[in-house]
Amino acid sequence: MAVGAVSNGIESDVNRWQYLNRFLTTPGPFTDDEATLGDEIIQRISSMKILVIGAGGLGCELLKNLALSGFKDIHVIDMDTIDVSNLNRQFLFRQADVGRHKAEVAAEFVEKRVKGVKITPYCGKIQDKDEDYYMQFGLVICGLDSVEARRWINAMLVGMVDGDNPDSLKPLIDGGTEGFKGQSKVILPTMTSCIECQLDMHAPREAVPLCTLATIPRQPQHCIEWAHIIAWEEERKDITLDTDDPEHITWLFQKALARAQEFNIQGVTYSMTQGVVKNIIPAIASTNAIIAASSCNEALKLASSTNPGLGMPGSNNYMMYSGDEGIYTYTFEHLKKDDCPVCGNLAKKIEVNSNITLRELIENLAERPEARQLKKPTIRTEAKSLYYQAPPSLEEQTRPNLDKKLTDLVSDGEEIAVSDPAYHQIQFRFKLLFRS
Amino acid sequence: MLKIWSMKKEQQQAENAVVGKKKKVTAAQLRVQNDLSELSLPSTMKVDFPDADDILNFLLTIEPDEGMYKGGRFVFTFAINQNFPHDPPKVKCKQKIYHPNIDTQGNVCLNILREEWKPVLNLNAVIVGLQLLFLEPNASDPLNKEAAENLKTDRQGFVRNVRQAMGGGSVRGDTFDRVLK
Amino acid sequence: MTTTPPVLQGPTAKEKKYDRQLRLWAASGQAALEDAHLLLINSGPGVIGVEALKNLVLPGMGHFTILDSAVVEEKDLGVNFFLDEQSLGKSRAQETCKSLQELNPDVQVDFNSQTASKFLSKPDALQPFSIILVASPLESKLLSQLSEHCDSSGVPLFYMHSVGFYVHFSIQLPHAFPIVDTHPDPVTTTDLRLLKPWPYLIEYAQNKTKGLDAMDHHDHGHVPYLLLLLHYLGDWQKSHDGKSPANYQEKNEFKKLVNSAMRRNNPEGGEENYEQAVAAVLKNLNEPTPNSSVKGVFQAEECANLSAQSANFWVIAHAISTFYTKNGVLPLPGAVPDMKARSSDYIELQNVYKSKARQDIAEVFKEVQSLEIKLGRTKQIESSEVEAFCKNAAHIKLIRGSPLHISAASTTLDWSDKASSAAMLLTDETSHFLLYVAFLAYDKLYDEKQIAPGIEAIKEDATIMTKYANSIIGDLLSQAGKKSSEDVEKAKTRVGKLCAELARAGGGELHNISSLGGGLIAQEVIKVVTKQYVPVDNICLFDGINSTSSVLRL
Repeated sequence: MAVGAVSNGIESDVNRWQYLNRFLTTPGPFTDDEATLGDEIIQRISSMKILVIGAGGLGCELLKNLALSGFKDIHVIDMDTIDVSNLNRQFLFRQADVGRHKAEVAAEFVEKRVKGVKITPYCGKIQDKDEDYYMQFGLVICGLDSVEARRWINAMLVGMVDGDNPDSLKPLIDGGTEGFKGQSKVILPTMTSCIECQLDMHAPREAVPLCTLATIPRQPQHCIEWAHIIAWEEERKDITLDTDDPEHITWLFQKALARAQEFNIQGVTYSMTQGVVKNIIPAIASTNAIIAASSCNEALKLASSTNPGLGMPGSNNYMMYSGDEGIYTYTFEHLKKDDCPVCGNLAKKIEVNSNITLRELIENLAERPEARQLKKPTIRTEAKSLYYQAPPSLEEQTRPNLDKKLTDLVSDGEEIAVSDPAYHQIQFRFKLLFRS
Repeated sequence: MLKIWSMKKEQQQAENAVVGKKKKVTAAQLRVQNDLSELSLPSTMKVDFPDADDILNFLLTIEPDEGMYKGGRFVFTFAINQNFPHDPPKVKCKQKIYHPNIDTQGNVCLNILREEWKPVLNLNAVIVGLQLLFLEPNASDPLNKEAAENLKTDRQGFVRNVRQAMGGGSVRGDTFDRVLK
Repeated sequence: MTTTPPVLQGPTAKEKKYDRQLRLWAASGQAALEDAHLLLINSGPGVIGVEALKNLVLPGMGHFTILDSAVVEEKDLGVNFFLDEQSLGKSRAQETCKSLQELNPDVQVDFNSQTASKFLSKPDALQPFSIILVASPLESKLLSQLSEHCDSSGVPLFYMHSVGFYVHFSIQLPHAFPIVDTHPDPVTTTDLRLLKPWPYLIEYAQNKTKGLDAMDHHDHGHVPYLLLLLHYLGDWQKSHDGKSPANYQEKNEFKKLVNSAMRRNNPEGGEENYEQAVAAVLKNLNEPTPNSSVKGVFQAEECANLSAQSANFWVIAHAISTFYTKNGVLPLPGAVPDMKARSSDYIELQNVYKSKARQDIAEVFKEVQSLEIKLGRTKQIESSEVEAFCKNAAHIKLIRGSPLHISAASTTLDWSDKASSAAMLLTDETSHFLLYVAFLAYDKLYDEKQIAPGIEAIKEDATIMTKYANSIIGDLLSQAGKKSSEDVEKAKTRVGKLCAELARAGGGELHNISSLGGGLIAQEVIKVVTKQYVPVDNICLFDGINSTSSVLRL
């Protein structure tokens, strides 16, 4: 046993966390007057379940930072396995871990390093989990590289907010990086601007016209895209392209190179082929460290009130970071959008008799004050198209549902979405509660 | 965090909105539902849903009643992912046809399907664009180079080849799918 | 089906591992990183420095030495990720060294458990290091010694604080720190010479746009927009005394002229190349005048007075300055953005630009060679270095390093020629200058007591620091020749709060803030070592309460 290891666990804990606990027990000049710092806060943080989505470049940093911020019950989701190109920044992984699941290796490492922290990994997709799973957490932090996954978790957390249950509101902290640039932001679902409101902050991927690729390529990238989109399908239709398979990349590279030579275009390389085909975004340890630390700093402030942070309604909620020329941050309030399809028009609870038909439900809906102009409603659940006014084929397919009973179509508590040309872009969502 | 909830309560008094369990209709579904209800299709086009519950995957049939493709029935698959409308719909022609802007693999060269896609565009815009391809095939930047060259240099011959291909015949040794009604 | 031939230009193991960063700083940057030997002088809780090192070990910086005399205690384990139970009671330098080494077998990490004062008492102790990082707190006299060494040897020096929710760091760069590869945004930096075309370009454009009106739709729709612009500029000049559109209004008129020439009676109802031409008018119709940063390099003393010992940068800069005086423009970069065109036409146009760029490089290279002979230089500059310089000539940067501000117990800070600009920042709330003043007060109190402010008495130390901060402000005002004002008095109250927040930390670091600061510092070290991108000049502050930052040049 090393010198200094104390037999009294509590005393060692007090010593160990003294830097952090100073801020959790002593208010400073900027601390909110309503904040109640002290042992209770320390307790609350250590017992709060917190979810980290992604165990990659940001995720590794997030886990380390949370473990050293007093959070002791951390869960992490990631479906990926470790690749050698991760090792330049994902510091919880070693050469020998290549091929293993990121979530598992990351959890093991941090648990081993920081005593008393429990990290529960899940190796899979966020979409595998349902509302009951997400309900257990006090806070969700994302380190993702996909817009789609962000939108999914955002919609999930917005949808979970229940006015009667304070615990159903899960703050969402989201970070992202690209080369020397990044951003971190705090979202209070249904209260402040959400991922969907911020969709225009993500530039869509640049694309070149297909006909340019097919007939008038001018850049090395055009030749690579041609090999990727057109040549592969013409010549290797039966093989599913695996962008991690070196043989596949080599094939595309040779194809692109030959095409480039045909058109006197210079600059096709193996590395560029990989970059274009896999849409590789440069990533470095330092930017990930900055963005992940900013996200966890906000998490700690939010959970403890030791100091004010980003995200409160009416104040800044978004920090943009750029590090290629000096260091530049722009911190501002991204405004919630009234017409946001996810948080702009929240579902309302309505009680219905489960024995009425869909047709009767539609008639009932049109009597509601907010839906008075409903004339030709179209209506669905996540799983089912209940009734579509148009196009004609779909109308025909869904017409039989009109005379079915609700019990045969939806389950108690399920959400329906209703749209009508009379309301253009506005949709109504209702949560149907069966009256017994 | 307690403070957040008291602020939420204040916000809520005005709204009375609540949500609950179970799977939510997704943002992509909501948007497609809107687009479908605003679709205005002429008699020459129709959409079909192999699975009525899955509105993200459907078929579009175009039956041009004028132009050189008159009398044909052209079927396109629409595959929309959950990232719609951030991502454009993926559209492919199901049949092998002779057309300067559609290659023999079914890839379609239409600007709003790729480089000029914007989330504010809707499915109607895409469908109108596809229809236009049959009324005004564009030889200037083609996907099928031979067909384009053919259209540019010998319009009459091109029309003949289109008819030949639509009947399931072959053009310059390449056999096409029969697409006549 | 034939099998795919083996990859000839496939990536090496190292290229695979570093793929995501090589796409930013390329092999040249990586080589510079691998050549570096960094010294970290660690103190206090010592987390920000170790976090910075983590972000440098991972991308493969060559060699590190950690100097830290601390012994690992229980409190280290709550804030430093690179220590664990097994480390208790052992040398902190050795233990962090061990954990960091595990992150990357390709780097060399050494440690030294001496105190800074013992270490620095040895002559030549600093000789091996190409870059030095110092974590506060450190006695002011040692910091001065380091600053002087780095000043005379041209070694970059970083001095950093992570205290509670705040981060500060200052970078002392050599007196002349030139950067060629600044990585400017490719979109805003295209130089097509539309207003200063060389004779062959004019001839080429005329040739290619001859009979434009008679072209068929296909040809007309595929003339590269660059040639269209040159063509219509010719038309414009005929009706404007040979002058080009000079101001915003004229450029807009010119835009209309180009737009009106677009064909709309074709199947597409418009032409993409004309649309691109119209969009390029405001962006690309500019005189290629060198910016102030480039002119600053030309006017620098080092550029004018070359010697046999001058750095290559200055010899090439001198040659380019001669080129500029003679030709009225900088060497052509030679890159042509993608534009609607037939493949062969585009490649041909690209070659027109490329060969002119090569011609310019050759002229500069000849000048460099004649300078080398004149100066009697023995080591010749490679043409590749000249080429890289010419391609980025319009975007080179020169940073003039200045010494650290060292806040000592008994001395008054000398703001020298920065006094008046610093005094202006006192009332600029967004600048974080007051936070910098609070850090100076923090160091002053540390230097006096040799113990971190706030450890023993938060309130009392906050009061003393506020007093020091106010006297720093007073000294600054008098050096700037300014009187206090109502706003300055308000600033004095605000700085008191910042001092109180610093004292609240009791010399402690918060892991998140140190991790963030370590990220910022590693990023700046990479920029300084690779001489790519543009580093902070020279003070950076991060406020973890408001999530805002500032860079001050003082």
